[in-house]
Amino acid sequence: MLDLNIPATTSTPCIRTDTARGVLHMSGDSYPENAFEFFQPVLDWVQAYLGDSSLPLQLDIGLLYLNTSSIRIMMDIFDSAEEAFVAGRDIRLVWHYQPENERVAELAEEFSEDCSFPFEIMAYTG
Amino acid sequence: MAKPADLDDTIRALLADPQWQGHPLHQALDGLYSLYCDHTEQLERMTRISDRYQKAEHDRGMSYAGRHEQQMKRLARLLRISDRYQQSLQQLNEELRQQSEQDELTGLYNRRYMQARLRDELARQQRGGRPFCVVLGDVDHFKRINDAAGHEAGDLVLQQVADLLLSRLRQTDYCARWGGEEFLLLLPMTEAVEADMLVRDVMQKMAGMHITGMPDGTVLSMSFGIAQSGLPAAVSVEALIAQADAAMYAAKHAGRNQLSHAD
Repeated sequence: MLDLNIPATTSTPCIRTDTARGVLHMSGDSYPENAFEFFQPVLDWVQAYLGDSSLPLQLDIGLLYLNTSSIRIMMDIFDSAEEAFVAGRDIRLVWHYQPENERVAELAEEFSEDCSFPFEIMAYTG
Repeated sequence: MAKPADLDDTIRALLADPQWQGHPLHQALDGLYSLYCDHTEQLERMTRISDRYQKAEHDRGMSYAGRHEQQMKRLARLLRISDRYQQSLQQLNEELRQQSEQDELTGLYNRRYMQARLRDELARQQRGGRPFCVVLGDVDHFKRINDAAGHEAGDLVLQQVADLLLSRLRQTDYCARWGGEEFLLLLPMTEAVEADMLVRDVMQKMAGMHITGMPDGTVLSMSFGIAQSGLPAAVSVEALIAQADAAMYAAKHAGRNQLSHAD
């Protein structure tokens, strides 16, 4: 499975996947012009990873601002993760935020409402 | 009239009774009865099938409704999260705007914001508005305060000066930290005579002010230069400030703790 390594721009987040370790990392601001096009490789990776193996998946999130389409896509990704978790998969998510930006934590909290898998919201330290 | 179940029994008994075998009506009743039974069975089957279709349709409708409700909930959450992101952007925007206009130490306007205000005010006056005054004030012997009591005490003094200036200004006046210990007042629709009174009031209050963070008995003073717009030499913001600056230096040279008007 091909891993993704997309560097951040001012309007799109940094995206990295590590199939060997089962990690999907997304961080930064996300307001791409065409969010569905931008995130399609990520959605594909998630579908393939969840479909091809039964290994654990860790979502490593450090997203700041999300436009509406990006929120929608995150909800889709988390739904897929939730489905896999309910089916017995080891899924966990950590949402990192800067302690001075408490709003990010509040919004991560909103996302966590429909997720029953471990969903941690953690301030970066140091 | 007999009930249908009783009628059924009666007919079956009659058809089974040996004494009616061979009776001309027996054959006709037998045929009619079996036709009736077939029809009844057919009708029941049709009803059962129809009921099952109805139930399937009902279930399908319920699942649509359920899915619809789920989608609506999801959409509502999407909108809520999206709204919150927008709110947080707006707040951030407001914070940045304040940061870009404010002097961090004193909370007064910064030099950049004041320059824009000065340009606006000059444009207004040149369109035929009333003159305004620019006042530059510099804390006397501030270097001594810093050297003797340290930079933190110096910062505290600047904050107190800022508070005093704000408390004496009118609602329509603007006050900025112009440089280290230098402050600029923009007094719209004000002539030099009125500016003179306002500055004297500030000086008087300052002379009687208790200075937190400094030894008891420390008296603070400032030197001020006042320039009024609308005079031939004050054609630009820069020229006006240069005039106020020159006047302030004249006040310094004349012994400090005083004000001086631009020529």
